[in-house]
Amino acid sequence: MSTGSHSNRPGSDTFGIDWLSVALLLGGVLLVYYVAPLVSLFLSVPAGDILARVNDPTVVDSATTSLLSASISTAVATLFGLPLAYWLARTDGIVTRAVLAIVVLPLVLPPTVGGIVLLTVFGPGSPLGDAAIAAGFSLTRSLAGVVLAQTFVASPFVVVTAKAAFESVDRTLEYASRSLGKSRWTTARHVTLPLAGPGILAGVTLAFARAIGEFGATMMLAYYPRTMPVQIWVAFVELGLDNAYPIAILLVLIAATALLILNTVASNPWE
Amino acid sequence: MTLELSRLCKGYDRFDFGPVDLTVEDDALAVLGPSGSGKTTLLSLIAGTTSPDSGSIRFDGRELVGLPPEDRRVGMVFQEGALFPHMTARQNVAYAATAGERVDELATLLELEDVLDRKPPTLSGGERQRVALARTLATDPDVLLLDEPLSSLDAPIRKRLRDELHGLFDSLDIPILCVTHDRRTATALGDRIAIVRDGAVEQVGAPQAVLARPKNRFVARFTGNENLFEGTVTDRTGDGATVRFGGIRCRTTAPDPRTSTVTVCIHPSRIEIGAPGIAADDRAANTVAGTVARWLNEGSEYRIDIDIESAPITLAANVRPPTFERLALGDGSDVRVLIPRESIHLIPEAR
Repeated sequence: MSTGSHSNRPGSDTFGIDWLSVALLLGGVLLVYYVAPLVSLFLSVPAGDILARVNDPTVVDSATTSLLSASISTAVATLFGLPLAYWLARTDGIVTRAVLAIVVLPLVLPPTVGGIVLLTVFGPGSPLGDAAIAAGFSLTRSLAGVVLAQTFVASPFVVVTAKAAFESVDRTLEYASRSLGKSRWTTARHVTLPLAGPGILAGVTLAFARAIGEFGATMMLAYYPRTMPVQIWVAFVELGLDNAYPIAILLVLIAATALLILNTVASNPWE
Repeated sequence: MTLELSRLCKGYDRFDFGPVDLTVEDDALAVLGPSGSGKTTLLSLIAGTTSPDSGSIRFDGRELVGLPPEDRRVGMVFQEGALFPHMTARQNVAYAATAGERVDELATLLELEDVLDRKPPTLSGGERQRVALARTLATDPDVLLLDEPLSSLDAPIRKRLRDELHGLFDSLDIPILCVTHDRRTATALGDRIAIVRDGAVEQVGAPQAVLARPKNRFVARFTGNENLFEGTVTDRTGDGATVRFGGIRCRTTAPDPRTSTVTVCIHPSRIEIGAPGIAADDRAANTVAGTVARWLNEGSEYRIDIDIESAPITLAANVRPPTFERLALGDGSDVRVLIPRESIHLIPEAR
């Protein structure tokens, strides 16, 4: 009877205006706002110039630090986060909700505040920090400090996303496996993990992307060795905006890779 | 081999299961009950995916309560199969199999050769159930549990799989529990049937015994018996009691009930319909006159409601198509109703 743009049903069309198109148009403003600066960034510097400056020792060092620390942080977050995610997915009650709230805390806490609370535990003057220094290494201004900061901020992504992935696995399948004589561990390895795999990979990818972009807590806890975001800040403050471009572009490319993974092999938790 | 449940209880927020006592030997027990009666809870308790609040489950004397599901040797065929979706049919069965050659043996037994390399989402409902069955049998379980194995299937497939299951159950020498809400499935598959309601077992027995001699009105109704009437025992002899209900008096072969007030119970398939006016020469049957009030073609038979002439009651009867056509039955047809004495069952009034 009535097609989309000529319907007279209340709430769908008023005054002949297609409100769905209006919605897209309004959202379109936001989309342009996302994409235009990225395009502008790539147009700001000639490609040859970037390639030349990518070999700069400060860029290479910061990229090495970032990739290494983010990999370690993600591995740590996965090692400790997956069991917690499984527990959260398979229990129910007030304790579960309280634990989940604690897991989400680093997500809502401003990263600089995260840095401060970490400093009170690991910083110089704290028992743990002093013990580490006495043992010959430092928990701040070191790769360990970077990993501590990144793990604090990024690991909740693994837990929250993997929890959703585990919950999407029908418990009946786990019961079926166990009634076939398989232990919990065998069941987790052969049934739960493979089925939750894409969701877990999404969580790991998000955690890695968050870790490599971590700035606030890292600044507080480990200004040295410089990660890419810290190096951007230093280059910007000391040498001007132009000098911050190459690393920024590297980070954009890493972010794009993360998006690609999310939309192919992993299951995008926000779809 | 004996599976023995005793005083098994499990409480939920709005539902209490048990106490249930049940013994299954090397035969198939069909557990029949409406949805929400605790059938699936019963299976979960035996399989070990739920823990009871109290009571025991013993297999040949070995206590199963407290053991994790993987240590019980109890095989469960879940509703809809619960096949692992990321594995092929063959991988599903091989995952469970203790020896490699079991996969092919079971595939042959259950006619699965052609679907072994397919994944569960591409299988039909019947194929999925058979793969699930093969997967469970591959573990050589001590006890086999089946949760509504036929409920998700279309009629022709359901009938075929039901026949196959019947043969399979006969060949297995282990206790089998098959849960269903369909009385045809229950009577076809069970060597015995157990009627459950509200978490309790109402009656256990051979299908024919439960159908013919229900313990109470619920069991009678749930096994398809709609002819339930309040009655009074008027005479008792060695041959059986005489009962009066709705103004008619019937002789029965039922033994003396403990009470004088009874529920008279006559299964619709036991009532015979004849042409009106012919003299009642059948001494083994009570004869009354009536008219057809309604009739329904149920496919393999007709369901007829008959208003009894001398009494304010309506009897339901099942009639085979040849009889229905020979008597040219229709709304308002006069008929003669024969109620054989041995078909009348008396349920004593609950005290």
